[in-house]
Amino acid sequence: MADVVMDRPLPLDPPLVEGNPTYSQITDDVAGIVERKPPREWYAAISVTGLLTLALGISIAWLLYKGVGIWGNNQPVAWAWPITDFVFWIGIGHAGTLISAILYLFRQRWRTSINRAAEAMTIFAVMTAGLFPLFHTGRPWRAYWLFPIPNLDLSLWQNFRSPLMWDVFAVSTYATVSILFWYVGMIPDLGTLRDRAAGLRQKIYGFFALGWRGSAWHWNHYEKAYLILAGLSTPLVLSVHSIVSLDFAVSIVPGWHTTIFPPYFVAGAIFSGFAMVITLMVLARKAYRLEHLITINHLENMNKILLATGSIVGYSYAVEFFTAAFSGNPYEQFVFMNRVVGPYAWAVWTMFFCNVFAPQLFWFRKVRRSIPAMFVVSIIVNVGMWFERFNIIVTSLHRDYLPSSWGMFTPTVFDFLTFFGSLGFFLTMFLLFLRFLPAIALSEVKAVIPAPQPEKEGE
Amino acid sequence: METSLQQNRESYYLDEALWNKIRNVLLLVAVVGWAASAYGWAADGYNFYGSYLVNFMFWLTIGWGAAFFVAVQHITTAAWSVTVRRIMENVMITLPVMAFLFIPVAVGIPTLYEWAQPGYFDIEHNPNLQFKALFFSAPLYVARVVTYFFVWSALAVVLYQNSVAQDQGPSEEARRNLRWWSAPGVLVLTATVTMASVDWIMSLDPHWYSTIFGIYVFSGGALAFIALVTLVALALRKAGYLRETITIEHYHDLGKWMFALTVWWAYIAFSQYLLIWYADLPEETVFFKHRMEGTWIYLSALLLVGHFIVPFLALLSRAAKRNLAVLGLTAFWILVIHGMDLHWLILPSVHPHNFHIQWLDVTTFLATGGVFGLAFWRRFRRRAMVPAGDVRLPESLAHHNI
Repeated sequence: MADVVMDRPLPLDPPLVEGNPTYSQITDDVAGIVERKPPREWYAAISVTGLLTLALGISIAWLLYKGVGIWGNNQPVAWAWPITDFVFWIGIGHAGTLISAILYLFRQRWRTSINRAAEAMTIFAVMTAGLFPLFHTGRPWRAYWLFPIPNLDLSLWQNFRSPLMWDVFAVSTYATVSILFWYVGMIPDLGTLRDRAAGLRQKIYGFFALGWRGSAWHWNHYEKAYLILAGLSTPLVLSVHSIVSLDFAVSIVPGWHTTIFPPYFVAGAIFSGFAMVITLMVLARKAYRLEHLITINHLENMNKILLATGSIVGYSYAVEFFTAAFSGNPYEQFVFMNRVVGPYAWAVWTMFFCNVFAPQLFWFRKVRRSIPAMFVVSIIVNVGMWFERFNIIVTSLHRDYLPSSWGMFTPTVFDFLTFFGSLGFFLTMFLLFLRFLPAIALSEVKAVIPAPQPEKEGE
Repeated sequence: METSLQQNRESYYLDEALWNKIRNVLLLVAVVGWAASAYGWAADGYNFYGSYLVNFMFWLTIGWGAAFFVAVQHITTAAWSVTVRRIMENVMITLPVMAFLFIPVAVGIPTLYEWAQPGYFDIEHNPNLQFKALFFSAPLYVARVVTYFFVWSALAVVLYQNSVAQDQGPSEEARRNLRWWSAPGVLVLTATVTMASVDWIMSLDPHWYSTIFGIYVFSGGALAFIALVTLVALALRKAGYLRETITIEHYHDLGKWMFALTVWWAYIAFSQYLLIWYADLPEETVFFKHRMEGTWIYLSALLLVGHFIVPFLALLSRAAKRNLAVLGLTAFWILVIHGMDLHWLILPSVHPHNFHIQWLDVTTFLATGGVFGLAFWRRFRRRAMVPAGDVRLPESLAHHNI
């Protein structure tokens, strides 16, 4: 057995960063993205996503003028696409905090290359998600009624027993802590950008860098703040989507009311979030030539998480179907039979295919390490996770206890415009992030590469 | 460096005399436990089966936790846990023995489970029960039980053998086998554990159902497993073993896991309670109603305090996790409360009106624990107590929490 020298990383694991770059090369590679003119692909992309955002603006303006009736929501499907979209986006917003907080506590050092961009996605996804309940209230100018603010005529007191209220607190707490965590983590890198910039740019980056000088005291405080925020974020990763699941599960609607919903929703959220991170990172690392920082090993690890969370989601589907059959409860049994053979069977089979079967390809190392394959699978998973929420919401509602009130849901053009518009908004925000902020956590990546050694010494 | 490694290696083996002593104690415990339980079985078969099931599940859930945890260490190529992994593996390898301990449960099925009475499910008048009637039909039930023990034993043996095979030096093949079997192993383990929880615990009330139930039982087992590993490591330390191998850093990490799994258990338990309480459907609330009747309410309250609040506060601070006395005490408490949790899950179906501890609870604990202990302790004889040849052992020895 070889002697043990612990101050060097063991050769058991592949290097986290490829090509053995120096510190200054890493700085140039990452800071260069915001300093140079963006590539043509960036302009092409933001033109498309900007147009979609415009579509979102138009459909919201029309909604404010006409009312919620422009959507397809109607009895018996009173919660339809907007809530589907809300849960979809909140779910996407789970990968960032998982990568940043939970993988940090697990000492997974490979997270450093992807955590910044993933956290940015979290924040933009939560922002996008927030639009839906806001406008779904129908009177967004009264949205502050969601908060327990004493109102003058005392005609309104919020129902604290309603999970919809808990949702307001959960999502806004999550958004606040995620933004803080993301921002605190970015301070050293903003300092780097400030030092390399001049003029107005320097002033702006300097303002947000909060006077960062990189002294030992600064680092000491920074590390402490980061650890505390990671600890605070960890329960939030679980709580937010658990509470979103309670919106459904506290009811007595068969297909909604089931005890596995909280952990099942959390697993699904992490699953969809990682899928979105893979979709966007595959594109970004190529466009900005960051393949040596976000290596194939990073992508492979994320694919493994997709496989694991996809299997948990599959487990939850299986347990739900089993328990419905086992329960002997005719309503439960009907809802689940209706899912697989009823008028929306196409949606549930799409969901099974996308969420359970497609990620199983990642059992094969070749597939896990193939960029085209993971890109396709990640998009399939995104589609599948939208359908999961569609199935939970629309399919459970469209045939309830009273057959005379059964009906189908028909989306309107505004349902489409709002959803694809929200996708445009999310992507626009992400493109702006790539343009103006350090997309990779510079200081953290530098901490996981081998420290510079004096050349030839000790050989 | 070579010599110190050599010395380390020798310290990985247990003294034969000490091993014999403990073995004799365990043997005595098993013999006394079985003799007393056999008397109890003859005198009061009904109560015997209930108590026996609680204690059988106690050790079985710990074995599940072991198999799950060991497999996850290989999937994630964890380094910190290598020095404690052999103790974990020795817990895991008790799973094949659990098949023998299942025999009294199997004999007790007609006594314990209402559904075992012929024609219990009236499918003529209630066709919705067809699936359940089929599910509990003898051939399917037997097939499931055989599958469970086969799957658990096979997984335990594969993970154990390939780890032990490396004790004389790293083996690429063994490492590959471990990684190859671990991921599918966790999948089938989770599936079988879920079904077994339904078969052996949930179906004590044949009409009650909860989709989260399998995860609830699994989580409690995983927590108790870490607590047991912590206690065993501390006992070895007290006897002068592995002091330089399982360091304060490893105890700190075991403490983190106990803390995390305490919170996780509470999260799962709360999810189940909140959703059933809120929806207030009689077919679901019946489970909690039984557990709030008579003195059962006190046990329910004890679980809230003892299974969550106490270990949560005890393990919250970094200093507590690095204080071996606090850690050991909490680990012991977690094992007690895990037993109480199973008591709470199982025994309201046996003596529904009042919670009480009876002497059969103690004797069946000694009986099952004695057999479990012997199966566990057997693996310490002339075998390394640490995966001595694991490639990540040096990394694990040098592990420190920043």
